[in-house]
Amino acid sequence: MEWLERYRDLIPDFDGFRAVQSQALPSSCRINTLKIERCALLDRFAENGIDYQSFNWYPLGLKLDMESPGKLVENLSGFIHIQEELSMVPPLVLDPQPGELVLDLCASPGSKTCQISQMMKNLGRVIANEPSLARIAPLRSNCERLGVMNVAITRYDGRRFPSRPVQFDRVLVDAPCSSEGRERRGPGVLCKSSSKRSMDLHRLQADLLRNAIRLTKPGGIVVYSTCTYAPEENELVIESVLETARLERISIPGLLACPGITEWGGINLNHEVEKTARYYPHLNDTGGFFVAKLIKNQEYI
Amino acid sequence: MSPSSSRTRNIFEPLDTSFVDLWGERFGIPSSAFAGFTFFRKANSVWAANEAILPRLSYEAIGMRIMNLKDRPWKPTTSALQVFGRHATRNLIHLDSANSRSFMEGKTLAIESDSESGYVVVFYRGEVLGCGLYSHGKLVSQIPKERRMASSKNGAEESADQNAKDEVASEMPIDMR
Repeated sequence: MEWLERYRDLIPDFDGFRAVQSQALPSSCRINTLKIERCALLDRFAENGIDYQSFNWYPLGLKLDMESPGKLVENLSGFIHIQEELSMVPPLVLDPQPGELVLDLCASPGSKTCQISQMMKNLGRVIANEPSLARIAPLRSNCERLGVMNVAITRYDGRRFPSRPVQFDRVLVDAPCSSEGRERRGPGVLCKSSSKRSMDLHRLQADLLRNAIRLTKPGGIVVYSTCTYAPEENELVIESVLETARLERISIPGLLACPGITEWGGINLNHEVEKTARYYPHLNDTGGFFVAKLIKNQEYI
Repeated sequence: MSPSSSRTRNIFEPLDTSFVDLWGERFGIPSSAFAGFTFFRKANSVWAANEAILPRLSYEAIGMRIMNLKDRPWKPTTSALQVFGRHATRNLIHLDSANSRSFMEGKTLAIESDSESGYVVVFYRGEVLGCGLYSHGKLVSQIPKERRMASSKNGAEESADQNAKDEVASEMPIDMR
């Protein structure tokens, strides 16, 4: 936990931030509209005596006050998907449309892939890429349980995902990261954190994001997200691609965000990165997340 | 089969729609239920995806695996029945509340039905639960393990279920196997 002290000057109400770390994260789920309407699912929950609270910012997100929500028959049957609250943000920012061609570059276990699929109403195509063979099975299993028909799964190294034969309308890079924002799900993630680890991840993340931009049509949208606070893995990654894409500010009514930081380790960053969004656990009673929305420059092929 | 055949290379081959007749024969599902989908075969499985652009890439999965052709009779996946099974008009079984729970736990039920022996679409309150294997008053749940509800029974009973499944299969008429 001492590791988080490096963010004392960066995070508002730092003591509140530290205090919330020891509280378990509330369970939450997303209603899978590929299989059930929201009102029908809520009727089911009422009938089965399942308590829930809708998110302030997303009608398909519900907080569940229970142990092991994964065992609910509604989850096993694919009417809901157990998904962390903030994990539902990147697909909303990506805003995929029915009929488009979309790439989820780091897809498994597929919570965001399936949310993208449902936003596209099972139309168009989502390519879900996952380099790890062991992580293909849970990705497939989630897609099939949720009734997803428009996803095809590939297994490339995301840094070398082939840039031919097509370019994508939108690409999501939910990058591997040091996961500091997941501390509330179970202590232990922070003991692996170090500056060296974040810088190693930075190289991987910047390579993934660079390739994602190359894979996107000019004028297309790339969303980059992590579940960590480390600026090395967030703003510093975004800053490295600003010659090929521009940032668009993110605003989700009902969800409190802080702007990206523009100074770290005594060095000033490109001021544009303040258009990114940082989500802190004590402000919304969630985990921690970072999200950036990029528009690929028209002149960059 | 030559070593270079796609079957042995395990890639997705586009498939025409003639196999949808099998769904009609067994379940009365009209071919119109499959309109708007495109189909692939990989090894012994049939996959379905919506009709849309599919870039030339190397795929691990395309859409949903809907049929297993490895054994006789062919077997529909529970996922596919949850999408296409509501159009079924025969070889379907409606369960009551208690039985639907047992079915979701992966158990074998004693059910009298006029279904033919073999795979059936199992419903509860108008919703498809998934695939079952029916024969002579016994319905064996085919719900995949990771999608079963928690059950109180122990491992010995699990293997009894497997025996029941083998028994049902061996009781099926030869042309069904």
